[in-house]
Amino acid sequence: MLVSVSTISKSRTISLVRLALRDWLKEDAPTMIYIMKVLMACLLAMWLSLRFELDQPRTAMLTVAIVMQSRTGMVFAKSYYRLLGSIIGIVVSFLLVAFFAQERVLFLVSMAIWIGFCTAGSMVFRNHQSYAFVLAGYTICIVGLPATITPELTFSIGVTRISEIIIGLISASLISDLIFPQRIGDLLTAKIRRRFSDFSDMLRAMSIEKIGEESSKYAALRIVSDVFELETFRASSGLENDASRHYRLRLSMLNAEFMQVSTSFHSLEQLLRRQNSTGNPQVVEALFSLYQLLKTVISVEDRSIVNEIEARQLATALKDLRSSLQQKIDLVRKALPNSLNASERLDFESGAELLRRFVDELYVYTSTYASLGSETTEAAKDAIANHPPRLGMHFDSLAVTLAGIRGALSLAAMACLWIFADWRSGIEAITIGIITSTLYASSPNPKKTVKQFIFGAILGSVFVYICNFQILPQAHGFLMLSLAVAPAIVIASWLTTRPAFTTIGSGIFIIFLMHIGFNSAYSANPITFMNDALADLFAITTSGILYALIDLTSSGWSRRRIVKKLRELVVSTCLEQLPQRPSRLETRARDLVQRLDGGHRAANVQDKQVIDCLLSTLEIGRAVIALRDQMNEVDDIAIKLQIADCLKRIADLYTSPSSRNQIDAINSINQAVSALENIMVATKLPQFTQHQLLTMLHFIRCALLDNDSVLSLHNPNAKSREGAIYAT
Amino acid sequence: MPREIALLDALVPTLLIAFMISVMLSWAMDWLFAHLGLYQYIWYHSLFRLAVFICMFSVLGLMIY
Repeated sequence: MLVSVSTISKSRTISLVRLALRDWLKEDAPTMIYIMKVLMACLLAMWLSLRFELDQPRTAMLTVAIVMQSRTGMVFAKSYYRLLGSIIGIVVSFLLVAFFAQERVLFLVSMAIWIGFCTAGSMVFRNHQSYAFVLAGYTICIVGLPATITPELTFSIGVTRISEIIIGLISASLISDLIFPQRIGDLLTAKIRRRFSDFSDMLRAMSIEKIGEESSKYAALRIVSDVFELETFRASSGLENDASRHYRLRLSMLNAEFMQVSTSFHSLEQLLRRQNSTGNPQVVEALFSLYQLLKTVISVEDRSIVNEIEARQLATALKDLRSSLQQKIDLVRKALPNSLNASERLDFESGAELLRRFVDELYVYTSTYASLGSETTEAAKDAIANHPPRLGMHFDSLAVTLAGIRGALSLAAMACLWIFADWRSGIEAITIGIITSTLYASSPNPKKTVKQFIFGAILGSVFVYICNFQILPQAHGFLMLSLAVAPAIVIASWLTTRPAFTTIGSGIFIIFLMHIGFNSAYSANPITFMNDALADLFAITTSGILYALIDLTSSGWSRRRIVKKLRELVVSTCLEQLPQRPSRLETRARDLVQRLDGGHRAANVQDKQVIDCLLSTLEIGRAVIALRDQMNEVDDIAIKLQIADCLKRIADLYTSPSSRNQIDAINSINQAVSALENIMVATKLPQFTQHQLLTMLHFIRCALLDNDSVLSLHNPNAKSREGAIYAT
Repeated sequence: MPREIALLDALVPTLLIAFMISVMLSWAMDWLFAHLGLYQYIWYHSLFRLAVFICMFSVLGLMIY
């Protein structure tokens, strides 16, 4: 009896241990490996710099700390841009020293201009490119400022700095490539799979009962950030060398197609929601019966598909659905009761049209996804050659200018203090001030980030004090030196792996490694150290204050700017002469919103408002583009003018939203619709064109009439509006 | 071979030039290997790349000194 009990508990213990071990391997082991890698790379960089007798091993170590990330490809990408940024910064500081070495005011003014320019650049570009601008900005402080005091040493300061940076980059790249490399490719595959299954979950969840709910808005916000995150990974994976060029092209195609398909889905959902609340229930039921077909196709054994092989089957099924959809629509149309009026019939037509567009796009998206699992076929290569999608840069120029001014101001404040108070730690303060005010310019909430950074800086100062004055004086030899610096590096790199404490970790890293007390020999002086540490804190606080004063990312002002920019996008889509492409509209609109926020929180009401505005911009914009495409097919001048008038009215409405303009726009659309429905006109147009024009116009009309739409939120006379609509 | 050469009037160690050349060479070789599909016969790609690089750099370095 006793024996059996003990065996049972023993086997249970073993299975528990095994479970714990598996958890540990999955969650904690990668973190531990990462921390070890950071430590090894730092020590390698330190050893190499000491071996080469370079002046400041700390620069090499700091470089390692900055570029180290868990994914190998990201390390390569960041290293490349760090090198580029540093070289540009050094060259510019050589130029400035050559021009203005004797005149410190002129020197500082031109430096402020350069830093303003770089801060603005870091706002315009994304991720690693943005980081290159930050570096080009603050390298000028590190190289240029000491050079003002000793101009004859500028060249050697610059060369030493670049050598140290290169040593740091090489150590970081080697360690992360050789020891337990973590490839981006695997991460990418996982992300794409998850995104597809999330999206099909969303499709499967839509039903006639749940149509009014808000769930898809959160998904939309996640989609925005996902698209840009994937783009970063894609760009970085290029440096890893094991993914082919075709694979990466297919990834960016996938991204572009995903944006389109998600917008189409949203439009479809909105249309169904509107009809559900105001339209004929029979129409809604008919449309849902069509949607049900799609739902059956995308479910495999009552779940979403999870990999590329299943996607290939799905693509075939969608192709079948696509070819048979028109017949099914005709069948459902015949079954509609005769009592429906013209407008209700149009409701059905536009719904069916949107559904058809959605199925088309979903088919394209699914087949691209499926093709990721296989080798490139010739046909796919051709498709790629015809379709080079790119995520361009779209930004609010006023916000970028203000960011530049903010960067220049923080330099000016520090420099004035340095000159007028004859401050010994002035250079130190300027350097740290510029680092913080350029580094966090593009972060979603700089105020909060800088607060965390200050906390990290204080911790870092404490660590560096203990290390410099308690431990280092007793250390002899490289081993002891390594032991002395290791604890702080381990703690800081552990903090950087926790998403909530990342900035604290990098604060510790920057302050600790900038002040660590040895060059080629021990060189720490308590008085200088205390002065510099205080100067650091002061400078960080100053840049924090400037972030709070010129707040470009989390204030109501910036949200209003973005909403306005989004409305301008609709206006330009309506009026510009250039041929419009849906993918261009998608990337422009999403890029504007992406700058607002990292996309992790949708809790706050104002954020939601911006997302609503984004979705409605995309919805209307896509419809307008489709309308303009069809307009080119029309020969009849009267119809053409009528539609051009509609576009102009819509543009007016979006330039200055008011009930007056809204009524004008809707009236104009009503006229166009009745003109198109005229038998005389209908015979002259190709049937397909007439059908497309009608459905798109009707869709826009419904969107403009929608009581829940964003335009009504910005409508000054929201109350009188209700009456106005009924009056029409 | 001189140990330092003047590049735009700045003295640069010849070893640096050798380093650059071997980086270029190893990139070219990397491209060639990836293109011919030779990497499927290699167990640890990055270690192999590093080893090849070190071989090339050492040969060039020994030619200088």
